[in-house]
Amino acid sequence: MKSLQKFIQIHRSINQHATRFSLLVVIMLFGLFMEAYMHDFNLVYITFFFVFSLAFSAGPIGVLNLGNIQAKFNIQGRIFAQKETNILFNINNTSSTSSWSITLHDNNDAKVTLTQIKGESSKNAVLPFLVYKRGTFTYDNCYLESKYPLSTARLTKPIDEVYEGIAYPEPKGRSLDTFLHEQETHYGEEKEFDGLREYDGSQKVSHIHWASVAKGEMSVKVFTKETKIHNLLFTYNTLPGDKESRLSQLCLWVLECEKRHLTFAIQMPHKQLTSKKESIDEILETLARY
Amino acid sequence: MRYLKHLQDIKFSPLALLDLTYIVVLLPLLLILKIPMLIFVGIVIAILIFKRTPTQKLGIFFIFILGVLALYLSLYGAFSFRGLSRLKLFLELLVYILMIVVAMQRLTREINFYLLISPFLFLALSLFFYHGMLMLIYVVFELFFLLWMILSHRMEGNVRDGFASSMVMFMYSLPWVVVLFIFFPRISFEHANYGFKSESIKRMGHDGTMYLDSKALLVPSERIVMEVGFENKIPPSHTLYFRGSILYTDKKDHWEGLPIYVKRETKPFYATTGLPIKYQISLYPTQKLWLYTLDMPSRMVKGSTLDRDLITTVKKPVKEPIHYEASSSLSPRFHDILDKKTLQASSFFDREQNPQTYKEAQKIEEAYISMPKRAKALTHFFKMRSLTYTLKPDALDINHTTDSFLFDTRRGYCVHFASSFVTMARMAGIPARIVTGYKADPANGLKNYLAVKEEDAHAWAELYIDEHWVRFETTSTASKVESNGEIIDPNQSAQSTSNSLYKEVNLYLMYVKYQVETWILYYSHIRQLQLLDYAKKNPAFIVSFVLSLIALVLLTFIIIAYFKRPQYSSETLAIMQPLLKRLKKEDHLRSDEETLHQYLLRYSNSYPQKLLIAEIDRLYEHMIYANENSKNKQKELKTLIKKFLKQKNG
Repeated sequence: MKSLQKFIQIHRSINQHATRFSLLVVIMLFGLFMEAYMHDFNLVYITFFFVFSLAFSAGPIGVLNLGNIQAKFNIQGRIFAQKETNILFNINNTSSTSSWSITLHDNNDAKVTLTQIKGESSKNAVLPFLVYKRGTFTYDNCYLESKYPLSTARLTKPIDEVYEGIAYPEPKGRSLDTFLHEQETHYGEEKEFDGLREYDGSQKVSHIHWASVAKGEMSVKVFTKETKIHNLLFTYNTLPGDKESRLSQLCLWVLECEKRHLTFAIQMPHKQLTSKKESIDEILETLARY
Repeated sequence: MRYLKHLQDIKFSPLALLDLTYIVVLLPLLLILKIPMLIFVGIVIAILIFKRTPTQKLGIFFIFILGVLALYLSLYGAFSFRGLSRLKLFLELLVYILMIVVAMQRLTREINFYLLISPFLFLALSLFFYHGMLMLIYVVFELFFLLWMILSHRMEGNVRDGFASSMVMFMYSLPWVVVLFIFFPRISFEHANYGFKSESIKRMGHDGTMYLDSKALLVPSERIVMEVGFENKIPPSHTLYFRGSILYTDKKDHWEGLPIYVKRETKPFYATTGLPIKYQISLYPTQKLWLYTLDMPSRMVKGSTLDRDLITTVKKPVKEPIHYEASSSLSPRFHDILDKKTLQASSFFDREQNPQTYKEAQKIEEAYISMPKRAKALTHFFKMRSLTYTLKPDALDINHTTDSFLFDTRRGYCVHFASSFVTMARMAGIPARIVTGYKADPANGLKNYLAVKEEDAHAWAELYIDEHWVRFETTSTASKVESNGEIIDPNQSAQSTSNSLYKEVNLYLMYVKYQVETWILYYSHIRQLQLLDYAKKNPAFIVSFVLSLIALVLLTFIIIAYFKRPQYSSETLAIMQPLLKRLKKEDHLRSDEETLHQYLLRYSNSYPQKLLIAEIDRLYEHMIYANENSKNKQKELKTLIKKFLKQKNG
């Protein structure tokens, strides 16, 4: 009784859809019935009953195959517009038997095929995810799908989780080094040689390591900074381009500053954001919602 | 499953699974293919084996041309548009076309929808051509195999897990199939009469003549002519006479039926005395018109004619196995009133032909006025002649057959005994005739099943006494029976042949085959009604039927449980399962990263009073890592786990 209740519960959590093989089974049953009816062949009747019973038993078997699978997803880290990220799903099989032929889908037609999920075990799967525009987004309508065992029905099990998040502007534009190069005096004083790095055109000419140039490589000397300027200011209005490209530029610099542990301020048209007062995430969120 | 273990790591590609499926579904159809088509199939298989890359369009076109040519040559002469009305030819054409299409598709080495559905079409088509017990077994196997291959494909080519899952699914569906088979309303047309490939061999049958010379029908073959299923147990041996034809006219070297000009009244006197009995007969092709019924038929067989002599015939020769139901009253006699011409035909004899016999017959006629006494005297006379029953008799003088048999050779078999007895009976003033048919041997029976073989062909006499035809077993007058050159006691001869194990096993197999044919292959609307009727009369049958169904369901669940049982990487881990289940039940869950040792250790730390766990953990670790997995250690681990499980609250 308990098993039946459990089965009913599982059955309710699953949606069933017809496939072209469903139609094929119907045609086959009709054809076999006609063959049996016209010629009174018990062999055909037996085949007919087997096809019917197998198609019939495929339903509960398919439901149990998919119904015992629980899936959860976990979105960690920052999501940026136009940057593909991976969503990690944890797939758990609660039954003692293996489940087969299951695919994981999201609402953007991305899917991944899961290999055998052994009984009472879990596995991880990853789905790519891309947000096209900055701002808030919702990640939902993910589902598990299976045509096991006979492809006569497409079973889907929705993953009930909904994630509402924020996508930050796509970080792109000039690098922070270029910005600092333009305002080199504001960046502090070189103190101690830290190593060589590949020259990318944005560094000072005086920092070029000429010995490496002689060897056919072009490196620049990097120094640790003893003091850092405290008045690194990015002004929204002075940035070139449209609104989106300005926000993208600011987003890039914010991330670079975070990486280099630099404090900074952003002068927005009606508001100033400073890294001393607000966390990086708060600043990025302000940019995302702007 | 143990034999499938080595398949565990082998993954079959979808194409390999499809090929295996095609091999299985095409096997029965290959038997109907003509040689050109077989060559075509051989060429395609050779290309698939030796050319591992997809065939180009030109190659596929070449195969198409080759296929059409093979089709043309295969059906050359047989095919015309008129011929298409013959369903069998039409189906053959369909099989050929489908084969060509499948060959073309398969050579591309790509799986498409048509390649996926074609095995089912081949299966459906093969059902038109075969309808025997072998095919029944094969069809069930085919269905299982198809399921196995589909599931293996779904399981990434893993045939071992595919086998287990298909077994589970097959078992789920089996009770449904049984219930549907029994109760699904059969509203079909008449059973079609094509197919039956395995039953084209002609059996011996009676044809209304009986030769006494070398043309005599003597087939000491064990081939089954008919199979009889009685409602209850097999009737006694002395009643197992199956009537075939009746012979009235002595033509010196042979006997025939009534002359054409004698038209007997068609309405028969049905037998009313004797033990009433119902039975089903499966008669194999005899190419003759006669159906066989037990002496004496009490009802006409459906679709046949029963004449005044209680002989059953059909309009067309029996060219396919037929199945009919019959009713008889087991009696050696039945009432009949003879018209003048029939009486004349039954009394006619030529005294010049057998003068010695006539002389002896006259003595009997004069000595006994009463017909039964005369008949008894005749039997006594035959017994006194020291006749020998042998299947290798000496040649008779064909102009004086009875004299030759009774006074000269005194050796013969049923036809000679019956012919002489009838002749002498007529000479003694008793109208008589010969009946040919089968005298079944109960040694060929099991429970309610009786197989009648060609060697059971028999002839006996019927004497017209007091307005009744009375059967006389004429061979029982033999004093000696000669078998394989040895003289044996006639009373023991019936028992001496059926003692070997081979015969017994063979009989069981025949019995099973008959039951399968009766209750599965030829199960029909009539059988359904019979079953229903029987159930109404016997409530105990309903109970046993329901119990059988429950037993079947239980059996299927046992098989399902076996195939669904979890598989563990080691026997030791399997032993640990009851313990792990208990811990899980106690909400002590194991995390994904945790080893079994860590898990048990955590449990031990949480419940330090449960010392057994630590002991189990130690033993398990020792068995796994020291590789000491002896039977004693396993037993020890089992005991510890049992002890732990018995403890209250673990």
